[in-house]
Amino acid sequence: MKRYLPMLVALGGMVGLTIWMTNIGQVGFFPLAAPSKLLREVMRHLQIVVYAAALAIGVGLPLGFVLTRRAFRFVSPILVGLTNMGQTLPTLAFIGIFAVVLGLGLQAAVIALAVYALLPIVRNTYAGIRSVDPATKEAARGMGMSTAQIVWKVELPLAMPVIMAGIRTSTVLNVGTAAVAGMIGAGGLGEIIMSGLAMRVTEMVLQGAAPTAGLAIALDAVLGTAEQWLTPRGMKPATEMVFRG
Amino acid sequence: MLFETWRYIGNNWAYIGRLTVEHLQIIAVANGSAVFFGVLIGIFVSGRGRERLAQLVMYLASIMITIPSLALYGFLMGILSALGLRSIGFLPVVIALTLYGLLPIIRNTYTAITEVDPAMIEAGRGMGMSELQILWKVKLPLAVPVIMAGLRQAVVMNIGIAAIGAYIGAGGLGQLIFRGIANWRPHLIVTGAIFVSLLSIAADLLLGRVEWLATPKGIRTRGRA
Amino acid sequence: MIKLEDVTKIYPDGTKAVDDVTLEIEKGEFCVLLGPSGCGKTTSLKMINRLISLSQGKIYVDGRDVYQMDVNQLRRSMGYAIQEIGLFPHMTVEQNVTTVPRLLGWSKARCRERTAELLDLVGLSPPETFMRRFPNELSGGQKQRVGVARCLGADPPILLMDEPFGAIDPITRERLQDEFLRIQDEIRKTIAFVTHDIHEAVKMGDTIALMRDGILVQHAPPAEMLAHPKDSFVEDFVGSDRALKALQLMRVRDVMDETPPKVRIDESLETARGRMQELGVNFLAVVNEDERFEGWVNRRVLRRSGEQVKDVMMRYTVTGRRDTPVNEALSLMLGSAIGNLGVVDRRDKLIGVVTFRSLSEAIQASYSEDEDPDEAHAERETAA
Ligand SMILES: Nc1ncnc2c1ncn2[C@@H]1O[C@H](COP(=O)(O)OP(=O)(O)OP(=O)(O)O)[C@@H](O)[C@H]1O
Ligand SMILES: [Mg+2]
Repeated sequence: MKRYLPMLVALGGMVGLTIWMTNIGQVGFFPLAAPSKLLREVMRHLQIVVYAAALAIGVGLPLGFVLTRRAFRFVSPILVGLTNMGQTLPTLAFIGIFAVVLGLGLQAAVIALAVYALLPIVRNTYAGIRSVDPATKEAARGMGMSTAQIVWKVELPLAMPVIMAGIRTSTVLNVGTAAVAGMIGAGGLGEIIMSGLAMRVTEMVLQGAAPTAGLAIALDAVLGTAEQWLTPRGMKPATEMVFRG
Repeated sequence: MLFETWRYIGNNWAYIGRLTVEHLQIIAVANGSAVFFGVLIGIFVSGRGRERLAQLVMYLASIMITIPSLALYGFLMGILSALGLRSIGFLPVVIALTLYGLLPIIRNTYTAITEVDPAMIEAGRGMGMSELQILWKVKLPLAVPVIMAGLRQAVVMNIGIAAIGAYIGAGGLGQLIFRGIANWRPHLIVTGAIFVSLLSIAADLLLGRVEWLATPKGIRTRGRA
Repeated sequence: MIKLEDVTKIYPDGTKAVDDVTLEIEKGEFCVLLGPSGCGKTTSLKMINRLISLSQGKIYVDGRDVYQMDVNQLRRSMGYAIQEIGLFPHMTVEQNVTTVPRLLGWSKARCRERTAELLDLVGLSPPETFMRRFPNELSGGQKQRVGVARCLGADPPILLMDEPFGAIDPITRERLQDEFLRIQDEIRKTIAFVTHDIHEAVKMGDTIALMRDGILVQHAPPAEMLAHPKDSFVEDFVGSDRALKALQLMRVRDVMDETPPKVRIDESLETARGRMQELGVNFLAVVNEDERFEGWVNRRVLRRSGEQVKDVMMRYTVTGRRDTPVNEALSLMLGSAIGNLGVVDRRDKLIGVVTFRSLSEAIQASYSEDEDPDEAHAERETAA
């Protein structure tokens, strides 16, 4: 419990700030978002993040896994190099390009976020499985495990901490990117922040910023806990820094 | 559309150049201060008997870095306007980027210094080096490449965040993208995306090279980068 | 030169690591701190250069209380080498070796010269090649040598060494020990040297300070400690084979028979048989006209057919010298068919013979001063 204390304090602060700002109701000519509207935008924000994460995991995990198989080893250096480079690209550039290709709206936002989240997931899945000691696999084979059993009982559990770190990194990152996606008409808390910024109403900016930060902190904690659960006992969870975008 | 982009770039070299310079100014100021404060803080918390403080600082910095940039700009706007300072433009963006840049640098400085082989420190001390000499001649030279790696992460990350900072009037290449989206000018979006990406990739490669050069010869593991 | 006076160390957690130790190391003495793991050797050593603070007592170096001296000056005035070596990986061998000289502000040229000299001394030649290397470009043994060179850097009169040869393979260690002894012969430093290897202690030390649970049990030259262990702990620690260990302290000249039975290579078999009969022995050393050692004959080979000794003799060229350690002589003897060892001088002239009998007589003589050899023998039997 003590470990979560600073996180809970930060989260509580964000929730408090949100309620405070929402209670102000109106600043000069500008009405702030009503509680129901705020809740809708929170749900919308979460929706963007979760859809993108589901897509990214659904594609990234199998892709990362397949790259570790012998038949695909020849493309893996290229793909891993590409994902590394892709990760240096700014999120705003991603969102812009996907808006140009797919038009404004929710769809472009979700796909942009999913592609961006794909990169660390593919890379970590690949790295995680490759890092499993060949001796361990050989021991498993020697004990009579089938290839499928080796994958499910040895490779994936041992790679899980690293895979989870990739999922956590990209998902938390996407809470922020989803806010930026407010600008291409995807909705979510970014819209509130951006109208606040456009109208120079600090209270409105905070009304959007506080729940966004709260979401990021909460998701980071939830996924961090999941990471620990999924880490086989006797292994250290892989910690990896979340890159802001 | 690609043709339009091409023509736009051809006609607006000077403008794009100015935006790039603006972008780089923000990065330079923010990461310069992040390195300065980050290394100082990193050295300070690596001191003897400060393990708990180090943990706390690292934890706070890691919470800090999960906060989305747009939200952080918002908070800074609130704080700066409460202090009566300019709440949009260069200042909040530089502050935000400095804060984001701190974590990788503090963390790398701290781990590099605390992970210096104790035998080396004992040998140094046993031969009569003062604590300051041990810091300067042993710990820091060994930590520099790790600190540089942190700086590289920070710079690449911050180039992206600075682009978003254009929305609150800090200038830089993000402006092209935001203007393109607001007025639906796809060629502006593409131009902005291309140049901000190029900047990012260039910074990554360049700092990778610097990182290698800053590594004392005896501990370089790879060949020439 | 180094004096510990009633020195006690109690760590903050209450561990009494060193308990009222009084020890004096003379100028030019090579003192080995020996004892089982955890007995306080490292602690004692590190208190000398103040890496560990004293709880009680005084330590004097050259008559001066170490706590009256500036700590960095004190440390720069003694060489310090540790098992982990702790070479600085970002510095070249030259920079590593001249760490202290540079702290003392020596000129570049002087540092370079000193490096060359030291690398030569520790057997890293040519120095020009090794100087520019980084530690990760050296083998384990070479690193260890650089560690020794570094601790000699500013030519300090005192060396503190904590298991400096601890982390290398036995063969390299043996070689480094030999070389270090050779170096010590040249440079005559005052050395405090920690080890828990009794062989290393006997081989290297002028004196051994044996510790147990923080207490200094006995401080004496190796031969004395082996011959007269102060109590049963010392006896157990030096081992039930202490007689064997003592062999390495003895030289062939102490145990050889200087008037060996011999026969010339061109004498007849008859003469040889007659001489054996007459002297009551069952072997003869064979020499040529110039008294050079050629081999052996015994009763068995004399039964073969032939005219002269040279037709039947066992040619055997392995020989010892006057100053060969007795343990080496013994293993040469065990490896030879005849079981004896011919001792020759520089010109291969036979000057004596070592036999099992002469050996065992010499060993017993060294114990008989105040100990009944039979009783000691019986004790060893039961211990084994
Ligand atoms: N910093 C410390 N705090 C508490 N106790 C210590 C500390 N350092 C050493 N000790 C204890 O002091 C005793 C002597 O330690 P020391 O390192 O001097 O042993 P040693 O003779 O060098 O052993 P070894 O041969 O294993 O190196 C040991 O019981 C050890 O556990
Ligand atoms: Mg020790």
